[in-house]
Amino acid sequence: MKPVVLGAAGFLGLNLVDALLDEGLEPRCGRRKRTNVLALRQRKVPMVHTELDEPATLEAAFAHADVVFHLAGHYPRLSLEPEVARQTGLRQLEAVLDAAAKAGVRRLVYVSSTATVAPAPGGGPSTEAHVFEDAPRFGTYHGLKWHMEARALREDRLEVLVACPSACLGPWDLRVGTSALLVATARGLDVPHPDGVVSWVDARDVALGLVRLAQHPSPARRVILSAGSTRLQHLLEQLAQRYDVAPPSAPLADAEALAFCDAEERRAAKEGGRPALARELADLIIHGVPLDAALARRTLGLSFRSLSTTLDAFDDWARRVRILPSSPRQENRA
Amino acid sequence: MSPDTVQRRVVHIISQLVPVKPEAIKPEHRLREDLGMDSVASMELLSMLAEELELDVGVEDVADVHTVGATVALAEAFLAKKKVA
Repeated sequence: MKPVVLGAAGFLGLNLVDALLDEGLEPRCGRRKRTNVLALRQRKVPMVHTELDEPATLEAAFAHADVVFHLAGHYPRLSLEPEVARQTGLRQLEAVLDAAAKAGVRRLVYVSSTATVAPAPGGGPSTEAHVFEDAPRFGTYHGLKWHMEARALREDRLEVLVACPSACLGPWDLRVGTSALLVATARGLDVPHPDGVVSWVDARDVALGLVRLAQHPSPARRVILSAGSTRLQHLLEQLAQRYDVAPPSAPLADAEALAFCDAEERRAAKEGGRPALARELADLIIHGVPLDAALARRTLGLSFRSLSTTLDAFDDWARRVRILPSSPRQENRA
Repeated sequence: MSPDTVQRRVVHIISQLVPVKPEAIKPEHRLREDLGMDSVASMELLSMLAEELELDVGVEDVADVHTVGATVALAEAFLAKKKVA
């Protein structure tokens, strides 16, 4: 396999690069001109300049590649402009697909989201068969991811496979994206939040799943990658115990949580910085459904790590890079 | 490379990342509080510096760098290591 990874400098990207290197494969790593590549430099992997809005850079990057991993799908910083987000996401995805088709790429593994997984009738766990018929209208992120995944699956010039990972946790979340609530809880911050079903997965298992998907002789077109599901409030209580901090406050009602997120987004748009609770996170929690990842277990041979194993790995890494302070109590506990 | 040159390069990169004039950037300035860089921008600064000076700086090495002066000191330390190697 001659792989190219778009989004290699990001959280999932770095874990995927590690998984490919473990398989003896050397990926060409797409990187934007301005991004943090310290972790990629440490891995001594070849890097190539790619900008999703500059098709020529994509065509050059894909030359001689047979597999492209697309982990750089548009993720708007804020949810205030759904139409702009949709147009940007689709334009950039189109550029990636065009460049891959022109370069003769055999297979493209597109990383989507469990935001595209619809509830199962009857309330049981959702599988790959459960897809929203139309774009969900309750949030910019959900709508964007639905449109992008639908476009990816319509591609007929090359084989496109879609992976839907749930909330990824683990090492190398340098921007503290998915781990934001985890880090806030570990630091004893009580972030206002709604309640609902949340699903998690270790980023290293997702990376391995992506590699196996790329190598599979007859893969499924859409695969859910998820280790487990629980109520957020229960998870936060478990985390509070783990980090020896006060338990979380009671959850907000859905409407109250969304109003809080929207106010925070408007503040962040005006003043910069990040919202205390991202709108897409609230939407994912409120509309979250339990997930069944049996297909990934069966066809990709994955056995997902437990939450405690994932959190241990995250803690070790986060303390090394000072995202979490070292804690004598934690060290005693270990 | 002299300490002055390293400092000029650091200041030049910072001025690309935040809207602050190079002449206004002082060694004692804190990246976050004084220059308005968030954690992503300060990582970008150190990444750009590592690329420009071809330094083998790791993510762990930059975790405690919070000021312009500390950034310059880190670059100088890694340049010295490179010289020895």
